[in-house]
Amino acid sequence: MRTLRRRVRALLPYLVLGLVSGSIYGLTAMGLVLTYKTTGVFNFAHGAVATGAAYLFYELDAKRGLPWPIALALAVALIALLGGPLMEAIGSRLRRVPVATQVVATIGLLLAIQGIVVAIFGAVAMPFPAFLSSRTVRLPGVFVGIDQIVVFGVAAVLAVGLFVFFRSSRTGLSMQAVVDNPDLVGLRGTSAVRVRTVAWMVGLATAALSGVLLGPSVGLNAPFLTLLVVQAFGAAAVGGFASLPLVYVGGLLLGVAAAIAQKYVPGHQFLEGVPSSLPFAFLLAMMLIAPGRLARRTTGGRVPPPPARPLPPVVRRFGPVVVVGLAAAVPAVVGTKLPIYAGGAAYVVLFASLALLVRTSGQASLCHAGFAAVGASSFSHFTHGAGLPWALGLILAGLVAVPVGALVAIPAIRLSGIYLALGTFGFGVLLQQLVYRTHFMFGRSGPLPVPRPAGLDGDVAFYYVILTIAVLTCLVIAVLTRQRLGRLLHALADSPLALGAQGVDVNVTRVLVFCISAFFAAIAGALLAALSGSVDVAPFDPFQSLLYLVVLAVAGSGQLRAPVVAAALLAVVPAYIAGSDTLATYEPVVFGLSAVAIALAEGSRGELSALVRRGAERGRARIARGPAAARLERAT
Amino acid sequence: MTSGLAVESLTVRYGGLVAVDDVSLEAPTGRITGLIGPNGAGKTTLFNASNGLVRPASGRVRLDGRDITRLPLARRAQLGLGRSFQRIELFNSLSVRQNVELGREGVLAGSMPWRQLFSRRSEQRTVAAAADEALVVCGLETFADRPAGALSTGNRRLVELARILAGGFHMLLLDEPSSGLDDRESERFGAILTHVVREREIGILLVEHHMELVLSVCHYLYVLDFGKLLFEGTPQDAVRSEVVRAAYLGTAA
Ligand SMILES: Nc1ncnc2c1ncn2[C@@H]1O[C@H](COP(=O)(O)OP(=O)(O)OP(=O)(O)O)[C@@H](O)[C@H]1O
Ligand SMILES: [Mg+2]
Repeated sequence: MRTLRRRVRALLPYLVLGLVSGSIYGLTAMGLVLTYKTTGVFNFAHGAVATGAAYLFYELDAKRGLPWPIALALAVALIALLGGPLMEAIGSRLRRVPVATQVVATIGLLLAIQGIVVAIFGAVAMPFPAFLSSRTVRLPGVFVGIDQIVVFGVAAVLAVGLFVFFRSSRTGLSMQAVVDNPDLVGLRGTSAVRVRTVAWMVGLATAALSGVLLGPSVGLNAPFLTLLVVQAFGAAAVGGFASLPLVYVGGLLLGVAAAIAQKYVPGHQFLEGVPSSLPFAFLLAMMLIAPGRLARRTTGGRVPPPPARPLPPVVRRFGPVVVVGLAAAVPAVVGTKLPIYAGGAAYVVLFASLALLVRTSGQASLCHAGFAAVGASSFSHFTHGAGLPWALGLILAGLVAVPVGALVAIPAIRLSGIYLALGTFGFGVLLQQLVYRTHFMFGRSGPLPVPRPAGLDGDVAFYYVILTIAVLTCLVIAVLTRQRLGRLLHALADSPLALGAQGVDVNVTRVLVFCISAFFAAIAGALLAALSGSVDVAPFDPFQSLLYLVVLAVAGSGQLRAPVVAAALLAVVPAYIAGSDTLATYEPVVFGLSAVAIALAEGSRGELSALVRRGAERGRARIARGPAAARLERAT
Repeated sequence: MTSGLAVESLTVRYGGLVAVDDVSLEAPTGRITGLIGPNGAGKTTLFNASNGLVRPASGRVRLDGRDITRLPLARRAQLGLGRSFQRIELFNSLSVRQNVELGREGVLAGSMPWRQLFSRRSEQRTVAAAADEALVVCGLETFADRPAGALSTGNRRLVELARILAGGFHMLLLDEPSSGLDDRESERFGAILTHVVREREIGILLVEHHMELVLSVCHYLYVLDFGKLLFEGTPQDAVRSEVVRAAYLGTAA
């Protein structure tokens, strides 16, 4: 009895800690769900907004010396009032593009915001100004900081306020109507625009506030704050992405569970990744318990994807030959930059495998860095560890990733669109948090050595090895996509329902393409590792998966052309731009904003052609029946 | 035991709502069976339960006497049950011909990974032949190379029909195939249906609001209202029936 009491008492401080952060998670999650449901656009950049707000507050408060309440109000108001209308303008276009493009666009936004923050303030985490009093008061059994009470209170009061606003104000009720009936998303008319703008403002304000409130406990830590979106959707999953009170409770649960796990981490290394993987555990549990609540959304009202503009036959026929020929001549021309090109060739493999999944089959995958990590680490184990021949080790490394791919495909069976993107990203983070550091993968004893093939280990020879493998990969993928699988994948991207009704078990198709994609991504990871001679976890951060997706989106169309362009953009081009050190910090910003721009252009396409069509009709009517008839037509 | 679809005491619930309430019906091969009823009567839900998109609370679905109630969507299609959708489901970015070819290719691909990866040469010929025939039957030859997403509603309905015909199913569930079509187009649609039923001895269960089409092509009619079966009999009897008039024909005709 006494020991139990003592145990509970020992947990109390963690409980307090958990409730405080959980309250913030809950508030953020409510904002995220509210905007998602009202506007139809899931904002991956929700956490990045929190990051931006935290740094803005830091600038205003610590650097410019404004009193903290004014700095706080200014930061939140600036972001909400400027961001709301801007996001509505962006969102109204994104609603008309396929979900995969939507995901790419808001991820692009995430990369851009985070990139700008890092470019201005640097990548190193900084202490956050402690703007609240950190004196403690004694509650029964535990000391609680005043700042903790204030933060918890503010978040809780705002959460309740949000709920009341949602339930009783006119604007709130209109939002509720849209949440209950997704078909109303995307209605035209000024009131709909106003409702959605308010929804964006509310969402952005919650994100901004969360960033500032979390600041004192986590510091100015851009990646951490940006991943707040992950906590938010873990909490949102508990509420089935619908019920606001449950979403808030989900936030509290998440905060408390993470804090309590934190207590037991010291002394149990395998628990280290548990706190940060909880949101995905919540999401996965939700998927298993109540898959219906995360049901596929209708995609009605979206513009069909643009018909791929085929290249002139001559280019299509000889283009690949020319590219391979040029690539073969590279060692004679580029001198010491050769390893950069070798890396580029390895990235072609990676992007080709990503394109197969994302482009051809229309499924968002955000764990490609994870597949590459599996390939790189197991390749080291097979060759350096077990002494297997290089080529055999490479193929085995690819094969190891196949069951991993199948595992990721499980969410793909139940989920689509945005939830699939979240699920795969979650899997990538889980992999990083729970498995990267085990001895199956990278372990904890420093970088793993990765050999090059014996006799072919010179830079030039190894370049040709990678180039050969890249060409082979492209050939295999070209053959697969011209075969039955390719036709099934294109059909799957358009209508899984129709494909299933024709007798295709689409779950088998989905697992199949994830397995193939994982195989080649792992090969790419192994090649990149062999190129640098040793490998550790750093290059396989889950954020890399986001960057890959965005770069591929920027690289244009074409089953194989896009991967080649993407590899060049990511690996080769930066090496040729003067001052590429400063460039590296702006790279995510450039790619991110380009992805947003491309998605917006696609979303505006219908608008533009409709405008042209209306203009033409009006012109015709005027010619046929005189200006009065044209005016009449316009009026009706 | 006849071949075709048989639904036995089927009940489907959505939460508290009973969308299909203890309905039994038969749609044998060799004829066109009509299923009509006002909006929200439960017709689409009955289709969804028949081909595996929703799970019924109770009751059975049989195809050619075989119990298929628990089989997944693709399995039922592989056994010969084809389906068109009220909100047309096409592969919009593919050409009309590719859409129709996928009708047969899908059945051949089935559930086995290696079957989904590659096709045999003989299969490619089968697919091309089935697609050619279906395109001719539906009069779509001239559109074969156009992207399916760019066609008019009428032609999109025809593409969906052609895709199902190419699949070689012997039992078709067609959900309001003539909605969005003008009178001439639906007349042509009716002629195609009558033609394929006569030529191929297949069965069709037809959900339709267009009464002229229903009365001219259906051999037998079921009328559904609020999830319950209200009437069954020949189209002539249906027109004369008081209950049917009251529930449906009176408002629609
Ligand atoms: N997924 C669903 N969840 C909840 N209720 C549903 C769902 N689908 C249909 N319903 C309800 O079930 C009832 C039957 O709908 P169903 O679509 O089967 O009617 P229908 O006869 O096909 O109508 P229509 O002629 O308009 O197509 C309706 O009341 C409808 O609102
Ligand atoms: Mg219906």
